[in-house]
Amino acid sequence: MADNNPFPGENNTGHIWDDDLRELDNPPPRWWMIAFWASIIWWVTYGILYPMWPGMKGYTKGIMGWTQIKEYQEGVKEVEAVRAKYEEKIAAMSAKDILADEELKSYTIASAKVLFGDNCAACHGGGGQGGPGFPVLADDDWLYGGKIETIVQTITGGRKGVMTAHGKILKPEEIDSLAKAVLDHKPTSDPNFTAKGCIACHGPDGKGMQVLGSANLTDAIWRFKEDDQLASIKYTITHGVNDATDPKTRVAEMPAFGKRLSKDDIKKLAVYVHELGGGQ
Amino acid sequence: MEAAAEQKYNYDVVRWFTVMAVVYLVVGATVGVYIASELAWPVLNFDIPYITFGRLRPLHTNAVIFAFGGCALMATAFYSVQRTCGVRLWSDKLAWFTFWGWNLIIVSAVITLPLGLTESKEYAELEWPIDIAIAVVWLSYMFNFVMTIANRKTSHIYVSNWFFLGMMIMITYLHVVNSLAIPVGMFKSYALFSGVQDAMIQWWWGHNAVGFYLTAGFLGIMYYFVPKQAQRPVYSYRLSVIHFWALMFGYVWLGAHHLQYTALPDWTGSLGAAVSLAMIIPSWGGAVNGMMTLSGAWDKLRTDYILRFLIISLAFYAMSTFEGPVMSIKTVNALSHYTDWTIGHVHSGALGWVAMVAIGAIYHMMTRVFHVELWSVKLVNAHFWTATIGTVVYIVAMWVSGIMQGLMWRAYDEYGTLAYTFAESVEAMHPYYAMRAVGGAIFLLGAVIMLFNILMTVAKASSEGSIQRARTAAATA
Repeated sequence: MADNNPFPGENNTGHIWDDDLRELDNPPPRWWMIAFWASIIWWVTYGILYPMWPGMKGYTKGIMGWTQIKEYQEGVKEVEAVRAKYEEKIAAMSAKDILADEELKSYTIASAKVLFGDNCAACHGGGGQGGPGFPVLADDDWLYGGKIETIVQTITGGRKGVMTAHGKILKPEEIDSLAKAVLDHKPTSDPNFTAKGCIACHGPDGKGMQVLGSANLTDAIWRFKEDDQLASIKYTITHGVNDATDPKTRVAEMPAFGKRLSKDDIKKLAVYVHELGGGQ
Repeated sequence: MEAAAEQKYNYDVVRWFTVMAVVYLVVGATVGVYIASELAWPVLNFDIPYITFGRLRPLHTNAVIFAFGGCALMATAFYSVQRTCGVRLWSDKLAWFTFWGWNLIIVSAVITLPLGLTESKEYAELEWPIDIAIAVVWLSYMFNFVMTIANRKTSHIYVSNWFFLGMMIMITYLHVVNSLAIPVGMFKSYALFSGVQDAMIQWWWGHNAVGFYLTAGFLGIMYYFVPKQAQRPVYSYRLSVIHFWALMFGYVWLGAHHLQYTALPDWTGSLGAAVSLAMIIPSWGGAVNGMMTLSGAWDKLRTDYILRFLIISLAFYAMSTFEGPVMSIKTVNALSHYTDWTIGHVHSGALGWVAMVAIGAIYHMMTRVFHVELWSVKLVNAHFWTATIGTVVYIVAMWVSGIMQGLMWRAYDEYGTLAYTFAESVEAMHPYYAMRAVGGAIFLLGAVIMLFNILMTVAKASSEGSIQRARTAAATA
């Protein structure tokens, strides 16, 4: 080969492809060869230290005694140790007692922040500011009540208030007139309010009843806030809320968290929501 | 000489694969920029199911990996195997079957993925009839390649062909096993494996699509085009032998590092991590061999824009083959897993290495297979800078976003409770998502410049009749 090498004086392997492609006979760089062998030693060493080789039954465990579940459990144990002194007390206390204890309250608010963010914020907003069709939790207006016990109850069992669809019961002009009165925050100014039975749920003063979760119609806080509020009110009166007989009814359901979250987590969330600004 | 090559070799199929590769680069990058923008500005979903992130993301990955990457691999492999073996492709008809088959598969992906027809396997989403088509067309590619080597006029097989062949064999094996499924309808099937075994098979494929398709195949490109463009001998034959076999034997073990801290058995994950780290040096073997090939010719980088693409690709290759193994270590993985760091890593490999080396090879081939100079060399330089800057902006955005995400997810306050909600980490990522979209757009701009330059070059060749002239210049050669 070397006789007809077109690149004389070059230490190539003597093979030429495609006119001028050839490889030199250089050894790999020394640092590279050292690192290459070190890589193999690393592999073997790692296999001695950690689990590595499968066999017919089980696998080599490695002399470090490392397992991923152990690492996980140790990590959990570490944070649980920090939490333990608070958690033990919380487990034995009611949400109301926690509110009364400054230190535990601070712990609970810190600890419930992520619980709130991962479970509640999707509907009620990251700061409890509510969202389209979802109640604000950061003010002092409550459908079911802002006492700590009630909040625990709401989170545990969920809420699903019902308002009858009035589209078939009322005439269009009656709906118009009621809606205008509600928009003006003076529902009782319309005689239909009493005559057609609205008072049964919203109360003789139109301020709602927390036992039923019926909305206060005299303030400027809207359960179903929309750009065209008058239209929204008419829609609610016509189709109701959670009324199974009307396919266009408003769907407004807070799911129950009793089976999803532990009792302690629910207590924490109740304290957190209570302290968002409007707890009673 | 190139005229003689025109008559001796099948350049027709190479021309088609080359131009289509550039078309798919633009298509794939466009979809990528769009879905990156969707993540930054979700309104771009327009509530149309066909263009939501979940449907378009596999379209993006399939377009860049299999449409762009595949056409680039087929163009370069068919081009270089003929030239390094000194013979025409074993079968022209089979080569055309590969071309049309591969492009039909790409069309079927463009139709089925937005419709939501998917096996839900990452980088292997296409449903079973298309999987069968992929296997058939891929084998036609391999068979033609192997038979061409068998017919070769040279005594030894050139190093680029080892890498191409390693890719072809392993990808066949990986694709077939990973795609094993029970069909329950024309466009619905269930994977043969379930649970953690399915996950392991999936990542055995997933990582080796990177290891053999995007690494071995593109190292094949590197080994032909770097010494050709630099007009220098490959630095070390021995280095190429060692790192070739080390990669071939080592890479298949890595997949498990995608499943650290899952239901996967302990030994599988630590084996994956150990071999991953042991692969840094074999990977660098390719980068070193390519870069050292430039010994004594570094000045060429000042004037040769095509060589710039090839060399910067090796720099990105060396960087991402270091980064990946580091991310596979359990301690680092605990931070990096499920974050944008992974996306950043993938793109430093995909944009920096795979795309750059393929782009360099394509520019190199264009002048030889179309027998004209490039329409504009200045635009090649413009492409080089947009591609490089776009890539850097992209990966920096994802590094920052990913590490921040990982740190936010694991941050504890003094009470031992999580400091941030998930939504807060999403909000914090927003500026980096916007930055990533911008980086991608800069890269896409470069790809558009390239497509324009390539199409103008084709038009120039066509108006000058350069291919025809090369064909008829025969007798004198």
